[in-house]
Amino acid sequence: MSESTKGEPILIADSIDVRFGDFQALSGFSMSVQPATIHALIGPNGAGKTTLFNALTGVRKPSGGRVVFNGHTVTHASAHRRVHYGMSRSFQVTSLFSALTVAENLRLAVQARHAAEGWVFWRGPARRRDISDEVDALLTETFLTGRADTRAGDLSHGGQRSLEIGMALAGRPKLIFLDEPLAGMGIDDVHRTKGLISSLSSRMAVLLIEHNMSVVLDISDRITVMAAGRKIAEDVPAKIRTDPAVRAAYLGSTA
Amino acid sequence: MQALERSPNLATAVVLATLIVLPFVVPATLASQIAIFATGALSVALLLGAVGLLSFGQGLYLGVGAYVCGILAKDAGMGLIPALLMATLAGAVLAGILGSVIVRRHGVYFVMLTLAFGQMGYFAVLAFKNVTGGENGLTGVPRQFDLLGLSIANPLAMYVFMAGAFFLVFLLVQRVIASPFGSVLAAIRENEPRSIALGYAVARYKTAAVALAGGIAGLAGGLHVVFLGFVPPSDIELEMSQRLLVIALIGGIGSPGGALLGSAFYTIVSEALSEIWPRWLALIALLLIGLVLFLPGGLWSAGRRISALFERKTAHE
Amino acid sequence: MTDAPILSVVGLNGWYGKSHILQGIDLAVGNGELLALLGRNGVGKTTTMRAIAGTLGRTEGEVLLGGTSILGRPAHAIARQGLSLVPEHRGIFGTLTVEENLTLAARKGSPWSVDRIWSMFPSLADRRRTPGGKLSGGEQQMLAIGRALVTGPKLLLLDEPTEGLAPVIVDRLVEILQELKATGLSMLLVEQSLAVCTAVADRFAILDGGRIVWQGDGPALMAAEDVRARHLTLEHA
Repeated sequence: MSESTKGEPILIADSIDVRFGDFQALSGFSMSVQPATIHALIGPNGAGKTTLFNALTGVRKPSGGRVVFNGHTVTHASAHRRVHYGMSRSFQVTSLFSALTVAENLRLAVQARHAAEGWVFWRGPARRRDISDEVDALLTETFLTGRADTRAGDLSHGGQRSLEIGMALAGRPKLIFLDEPLAGMGIDDVHRTKGLISSLSSRMAVLLIEHNMSVVLDISDRITVMAAGRKIAEDVPAKIRTDPAVRAAYLGSTA
Repeated sequence: MQALERSPNLATAVVLATLIVLPFVVPATLASQIAIFATGALSVALLLGAVGLLSFGQGLYLGVGAYVCGILAKDAGMGLIPALLMATLAGAVLAGILGSVIVRRHGVYFVMLTLAFGQMGYFAVLAFKNVTGGENGLTGVPRQFDLLGLSIANPLAMYVFMAGAFFLVFLLVQRVIASPFGSVLAAIRENEPRSIALGYAVARYKTAAVALAGGIAGLAGGLHVVFLGFVPPSDIELEMSQRLLVIALIGGIGSPGGALLGSAFYTIVSEALSEIWPRWLALIALLLIGLVLFLPGGLWSAGRRISALFERKTAHE
Repeated sequence: MTDAPILSVVGLNGWYGKSHILQGIDLAVGNGELLALLGRNGVGKTTTMRAIAGTLGRTEGEVLLGGTSILGRPAHAIARQGLSLVPEHRGIFGTLTVEENLTLAARKGSPWSVDRIWSMFPSLADRRRTPGGKLSGGEQQMLAIGRALVTGPKLLLLDEPTEGLAPVIVDRLVEILQELKATGLSMLLVEQSLAVCTAVADRFAILDGGRIVWQGDGPALMAAEDVRARHLTLEHA
């Protein structure tokens, strides 16, 4: 396993342990993500991929290990603090403000970055032109301009997944965590979203959990393979394709 | 409460019209009570409608506001407006302190904590009975009737003052709901994990909302003691919390105007029925069941449905 | 086999909310047959099991169990029709004893009585009063299978039964599946371990992109190297 040495990683996970009672979900897991790259996380069921995301984004505190983001140690920082350090995430199960419009969903995401704005209680939100300009830009980037006034809950599945990504982008993150962004999408949406994800790497690092292997192998700069709470391989896509440990993890060890 | 309330101006108009009509329909003293409890119910409706937090303890802050206002007027000779401001502040500060602890709990646990703190108020009043008058209530509060030189001694002037206070709070709540701060509260109500993931310090926002609601309830308590001239211990008993909640639900939590409708309905019905039948509260219970089943949006939503029917009729013509 | 398949699935579509996971599944399990459903993870194998067992919210298509349509019917009704599921992660009642887990599920007229389960799984018989939650992973798996059997199923669905189990237990499980096969029980098995499947399955179906992309028997699967490479490993994904 070769570690990339192209300068400082944006994210370092150092010997992360996560326990749920008796169950060790992650054991001494370490990895690093380089800036402006697409890094994919793959592996069989129960490997601990979403648990790792949760530990890195602050949704679940690890029982051991360190998380360093952009030079700051954030291991015990709250989830909302990490957003202000430059982390942003989408969820495996779509998590939007379904009763609110697409534009309002995005506006809330942009507003969160302008921390003081959320405490303004004496005037309406429409006064901030800069925020509405950002919302327009995000609508364009996620191909949702025509759906700005649609209730988020009424969007198609592909539209909702795009909105999830759009809301994560609003934070202008340095690293964006995408949890199965392509799950349950039809071919057209997969194609469009794949393009969107690829285009992100010029501006930020992307850490991606995904099961659509053709997309993963196509767009990733680096792939980490997990099984049973540990890393079993990490390399460029071409090497991962033929790695025997990976093959065994997916097919099961020969009896 | 929907920040994008279809027509906040219409809501304001309805509320204003109701406030103007009220003294012509019921005695001015009853109208004053309606305005006071509408203010108290607004504190429940704000938390439940705007943030999705159910509080069984707003009566605590109403009671605290009443005692603070009464004690300051009686023992410190404070004037009308300053005493009311202190009542509001007391409610807000206490709610802010307790709130910072309880907002970290969710669902049933949050509700139970509001209930627990709500009950503690009465015991605190008994414990400090030399200051509060204990079970007898706080008597001997000087009736303050001078508002900027104008007398509010007669019932109608008193009502105008109470209605004015409610209206100001109503406008404030409308403004807050429509502001960026209100949009964050709505986001927290809709999807709290999502809000955290966007970077909002959710616990802080909830505490601020709880403090604001506590301040409103405190003000209602202050208004109550101005109206009564004494503080009954029932102002801080659990029953007050329940009453405010019932009023808020009857009126409808989808809009701040619901608090006025609910208070008018509850106060008028309780006045009328309590003469006839001592078990009139049973009817309120039945009414609540019916509301939950058939009109969960309360009276305010009934108004909205009727106006929607009108729109459809005129559209067909 | 000339008699009708015990399970027939045609054009099955399934959604989690708006997520269109199953995009037209076609498969059949013959009477007394064990069909293995293979595929990389995340591809929809458990979702397929749920759709057949009736616990997936939204489904379309046709699913026939013993000739009767079961799609869209409530899960308990499907269970009474003779379908029994051994779910992923076992799903046994942790606070109830081994015996209670079995007697709760037992149905009159089932060829599998609780006593027969004791003889089939002696280690369970030794622990009949132990709460389910205190059993080891392997014992829980036996219990989950036993519980499914006492309902007297026509078709047994098994979702990743060897996941997280030590190789020695996996071997015992393979033996049990072979014993069940010998009694003529029809089974649909989801397994990521190709080795386990080849030991017990009569036929194989490979799931990818929400559809069945290949079906065939053991020798055909071994011969179809490029199919395996494309859909089961990452080599040509």
